[in-house]
Amino acid sequence: MEQKLSEADLDAQREVSQCGANVDAILDELESASGVELLTRAGPGGLRGFLQALLRLREFSVLSATILLFIALSLATPLFPQLDNILLVARQISILAIIATGVTFLFISGEIDLSIGSIYGFLGIVLASLIAKYGFNPWLALVMVIFLGAIIGLVNGTVTTRFGIPSFIVTLGMLSILRGGALLASGGWPVMIKLPREDPFLNITSGHVAGLVPTQVFWMIGVMVIGGFVLSKTRFGSHVYATGGNQEAAVLAGINTKWVKTINFMITGALCGVAAALLLGQHRNAFPLTGTGYELDIIAAVVIGGTPLFGGAGSILGTFLGAAVLGMITNGLVLLGASAYFEPVAKGSIIVAAILVDTLIRRRRV
Amino acid sequence: MAQEVSFPATAETATPEVSGNRPLVELRAISKSFGHVQALQRVDFCIFPGEVVGLVGDNGAGKSTLIKIISGAYQPDSGTILVDGVPVSFHSPRDAMRMGIATVYQNLALVDQRDVAANIFLGREPTRGIVIDRRRMVEESVQVLQQLRSDIPSVDVAVGFLSGGQRQAVAIARAVHQIAARLVIMDEPVAALGIEESRKVLRLIKQLKAQGRAVIVISHNLEHVFSVADRIVVLRRGRLAGVRRREDTTAAEIVRLIVGAEHL
Repeated sequence: MEQKLSEADLDAQREVSQCGANVDAILDELESASGVELLTRAGPGGLRGFLQALLRLREFSVLSATILLFIALSLATPLFPQLDNILLVARQISILAIIATGVTFLFISGEIDLSIGSIYGFLGIVLASLIAKYGFNPWLALVMVIFLGAIIGLVNGTVTTRFGIPSFIVTLGMLSILRGGALLASGGWPVMIKLPREDPFLNITSGHVAGLVPTQVFWMIGVMVIGGFVLSKTRFGSHVYATGGNQEAAVLAGINTKWVKTINFMITGALCGVAAALLLGQHRNAFPLTGTGYELDIIAAVVIGGTPLFGGAGSILGTFLGAAVLGMITNGLVLLGASAYFEPVAKGSIIVAAILVDTLIRRRRV
Repeated sequence: MAQEVSFPATAETATPEVSGNRPLVELRAISKSFGHVQALQRVDFCIFPGEVVGLVGDNGAGKSTLIKIISGAYQPDSGTILVDGVPVSFHSPRDAMRMGIATVYQNLALVDQRDVAANIFLGREPTRGIVIDRRRMVEESVQVLQQLRSDIPSVDVAVGFLSGGQRQAVAIARAVHQIAARLVIMDEPVAALGIEESRKVLRLIKQLKAQGRAVIVISHNLEHVFSVADRIVVLRRGRLAGVRRREDTTAAEIVRLIVGAEHL
C-alpha cells in the first residue's frame, strides 16, 4: 500500500472527512421531509448540537449498528440481553479485539497484515511447547512469545518498507510460512500444557474476576485503552495518522514513515502473542490450525469500525464496536438456533451492509 | 561540492532593496546540469531580509532548479551559496531548513484528514511528558494564523475541508512557525486558485514581508508578481535574463526578457 493515492482516492477521503460538514444539511432535510421542526436551532449545547456532535463522530454508523443489533437481538430472544450472555460475548470478542487493536494501527498507517491468524496460531504452539516440552515458567514463556511476535512483525515490516514490496504480498507469504511452522513444530498434534487448575497463569489469562467477569475482558480493555491512548494522545499516534494520510507530507515533515509502519507490524505481532496466551490459558491445549481464516474476522472488525483500508483515519473505539458487532452476530445466531453454516453468510452480509451504510452517510452531499 | 568562486556581483544582481544591508541568501555563478541539459549557467541571485522577489521565466527556464538549489533539494555543480554572507553547502532540505529556509511545495504537503493544528505542527508536535500538548498546539496555531491574517475558521477543522487559499495559509503557517523561516520559497502558490483565493495568498505574502521575512515567489502570472514583488528576476534558458526593480519596469519589458528581446 505504498503507492500514491489517486485523485479519486483523495476525493473519497475528502468525502469521508466531510460527513461532519453535512450534518446540518441532513438535519434540514429530515425536517423538511417530515414537515416538522424536529429540533430548534439551539447553540452547540442544545439537542441539535448534541446530535451534530454525534453525527460528526466517525464511529457514528458503527455505533448505531451496534445499538440496533443489540435491540433487535434482545427483541428476538430474551436470552440475549442477560448479563451472563453479554459477558460471554465480551469474552468471545476479547482475543479478536486485542489483535484488531494492532491491525488498526497498521491500517491507519496504510499497511495490512494477512499473517495475523498464522502468527497467533504459531505463537500458541510455541508458547505451549515452551511450557510443556521445555519446562519454562509460563510467564517467562509469555514474555518470550510476545517478543517473538514482535520479531515476526519486524520481519514483515522490514521486508515491506525497506524493499518496497506490498505488505499484502509479504504477509501472505508469512501467513503460509508460519502455518507451516506451527504444523512442523507440533508435528500436527495439539500441544497440551499440564498446569494445575489453580495455577495463576490459567487464572489470570482465562479466569474470572469475582467469579463473574472473564479476565480476558480486562485484557481487552487494557490493550484497547492503551492502544487508544497511544493513537490519539501521543506523537507516535499522530505520526501513524500522518503516515497513512499523506506519506510524502509525513516524510517532508521529518517523520520516519518506514519505522512508524515497522513498529505497527511489531505491535501487531506482539499482540498476537498476548492473544495466543489468553487462548492457551482457556483451552490448555494449543492446536496447530488455530487462527486459520481468523485474519478475515479481525480485518472485518477493523473495517466495520470505520478504519478505511487506505489509511489516514480510524480509531480503536471504532474497532471495539466492530468487534462487538461481529460477536453479537455469532452469539445471536446460536441463540436463535440458526444453522452454524449460516454464520459466515450473516457475517459477510453485515460487513458489506455496514460499509455500505457508512459510505452512504459519508457520501451525502448538499 | 560547491567550490569557492570569486565572482563580482554584477550591477544588475546587486540591486538591493536596502543598500548597505547584507543579503540573506546569495548565489554566485551557480551552474547545474542534468545529463546533457544545462539547467542553470552561472546564475547569480540574491535576496534581502524583508524582500519579496518574483522569479519568472518560461517553462524550462530553470526557475524550479534554482529554488531547489536554494532549498537544498539539489546540489549545484559549481558556484557558491552564501547565507548571511557565509558560504554554505546544503545536502538536503533539512540543512536549508536549519538555516531558516522553508519551501512551500506546490502540492503543499498537507495531511487532508488531520486538522489545521496537527498539520502546522506535523512532525514537531509539542508534548508534556508523553502526551501531546494539544492546548499549546491550538494556541500557537491560532496565533500564527492571526499573524498571517488568515481567515481559517477553526484550527480543529480537517484541512481537507479548507479552500485552496486556506490550505496555502496552513502550509505557510507551518513554514513560519516550525522552521522560524527567514526565507519562504513559494512555487506557483496561486496556480490552482480562484481570484478571491489568490488575493488572500498575495496578502499572506505581504504579511510575511511585513514580518521581515524574505519571500521568493515563482509565478506565471505577471499581474500577481507585480502586485507583491520588490524585485523581479527573469531566467531564460538557464541564464539570468535580467533583474528589475518593480518600480523601474513594466510588464511589457518583463515579457521581453522572458521570451528574449529578439523575438519581439
